[in-house]
Amino acid sequence: MNGDKLHRALREMPIPEPPEAEERGRRIVAAAYAERRGDSELRGAMTPLTSERRSRRPIPRLALGLSLAALLAVLLLSPAGAAVRNWVDDAFTASTPRPEPTLTKVPGGGKLLVQTGEGPVVVQPDGSKRLLGDYEGASWSPHGLFVAAVKGRTLSALEPDGTPRWSITAAQRVAVPRWSPSGERIAYRSGFDLRVIAGDGSEDRLLAGSTPAGTPPDGRISPAYVPPAWSPTGENELAYVTGAGRLRILDSETGAVLAGAPALHKITWMDWADGGSKILEASPGALRVRRVLPAGHPSRPALGKPRRLSVPPGATVVDAALAPQRPLVAASITYWHKHGTHSEIVVFRPGKGSRILLTVPGSLGQVEWSPDGRRLLVSWPGANQWLFLPLGRGRGHAVANVSRAFSPSRRPTSFPQLEGWCCRR
Amino acid sequence: MREAQEGSEAAMARLYALHWRGAYRAAYLVVHDAAAAEDIAQDAFLAAVDALDRFDRRRPFRPWLHRIVVNRALDWARREALRRRVDAAESAFEPLPPPGEIGGEMIAALKELPAEQRAVVVLRHLLEYTPGEIARMLELPRGTVNSRLRRGLDRLREAAETEQLAEERR
Repeated sequence: MNGDKLHRALREMPIPEPPEAEERGRRIVAAAYAERRGDSELRGAMTPLTSERRSRRPIPRLALGLSLAALLAVLLLSPAGAAVRNWVDDAFTASTPRPEPTLTKVPGGGKLLVQTGEGPVVVQPDGSKRLLGDYEGASWSPHGLFVAAVKGRTLSALEPDGTPRWSITAAQRVAVPRWSPSGERIAYRSGFDLRVIAGDGSEDRLLAGSTPAGTPPDGRISPAYVPPAWSPTGENELAYVTGAGRLRILDSETGAVLAGAPALHKITWMDWADGGSKILEASPGALRVRRVLPAGHPSRPALGKPRRLSVPPGATVVDAALAPQRPLVAASITYWHKHGTHSEIVVFRPGKGSRILLTVPGSLGQVEWSPDGRRLLVSWPGANQWLFLPLGRGRGHAVANVSRAFSPSRRPTSFPQLEGWCCRR
Repeated sequence: MREAQEGSEAAMARLYALHWRGAYRAAYLVVHDAAAAEDIAQDAFLAAVDALDRFDRRRPFRPWLHRIVVNRALDWARREALRRRVDAAESAFEPLPPPGEIGGEMIAALKELPAEQRAVVVLRHLLEYTPGEIARMLELPRGTVNSRLRRGLDRLREAAETEQLAEERR
């Protein structure tokens, strides 16, 4: 075989090319080029986060099972607290909240959705609780009028008092239902498929994944164990991560791939930010923001180059959440060192830096924004507490005995998982 | 290149149009994964946009772009080699040309080569760089480049002969 033949073979052999790959790349490169030039159209079109949609999913629960010794841990305020004033209304200046024995009201109002060992529970603003049923997972509809709940192969829409509105039985186990901002669609995973169904339980269909029964999943298409995320723009754009670690944006009506890029390595969670102009990705070791061309731009939703938020080396991102109305990301970060662990709640403002709001010995768990973006609810499984931390002026609250409060049967159970804090008034 | 550096979108679009296919093909022939090749080609162009201001116009753009493409493709291929769990499932879905189609045997044989050999074969015989240029691009001794080329070509020879036989029968 001579070089000419090999050259010809390499040059001419047919190779697969994803549909519109060249065009997609052209749009992304053009956008990056325009951004480099300071294109005013692109920059001007950046909009503040206005979605009412909740935006978080938990990252591995590293905090579970900690020793009760952490009950003696003392809340420490960050010395950097004062600097928070620059872009958060005020520093978190409360002294160590004395834990109240029970939750008598939700500080700041709104309803909580909590997954317990017995099923999802809705916590009303007055602190009263209602178990919705024996479901394995749940999430709010955009305005908190309904809850999507899953159990085995069943997906159900419930009223917040647990009354079922409809149910479907899928071919495979269902998980991570997510309502679209309009409430018209629910995306969910069934086995290795990503599916979408109308909010009234009709028009259930495959969006991406394997097809014939028994066929191994195609990792390049099938969804990974990362919840899908709807664009807050209401433009039928659904982001998900494939099993092969690729971030994709689909048109939820046609199934067409609108954009794609490599997802963050070991990604555990992602969501849209800044009114649909960015996508935040999280993994245990990193947080990353990727720009999406804004609504109204002809090339939307092309994905831009990712930018990492500064997570210190060796730190573990336990959970992260996007503020509903501001471009802020709260993260629960744990540091493991020879003499034990300590944890921080860090609030990032992408492109502007980060601030530590709270430092405690031991491990913190999930973090959740209040619907108005003024408070954080932080779970502290080791201390069996929830911490309600105001970002601005105000008093922090701590609630003790959280596990017992959500286990009426008094059976030993895992610490309740935060599934959502709903909704803006 | 000069116009692109001075802010001409049209010039940037021309650069992209001129080099996209080559970059994608080179990436694909190293990684054998269409989605990854798309990402790699895209990332290479984004890196080019990032570095436009620093780019020395006296130097050619093409080898600079290809250097990024092939090095990223190699990084990807090495990472994939470590991800043992996906290999079996994914290989069944790899959209190879059907046997008998032009290049089918060759692309299958190329895929069997170690990524490092694939990269030098692609740089030498698709993109037509000299072994010296390849050595500089990959930061390897020239002797290493030559030995990888030789080993790679030995393995491809058999595939080429099979393909030739098939062509003759057609």
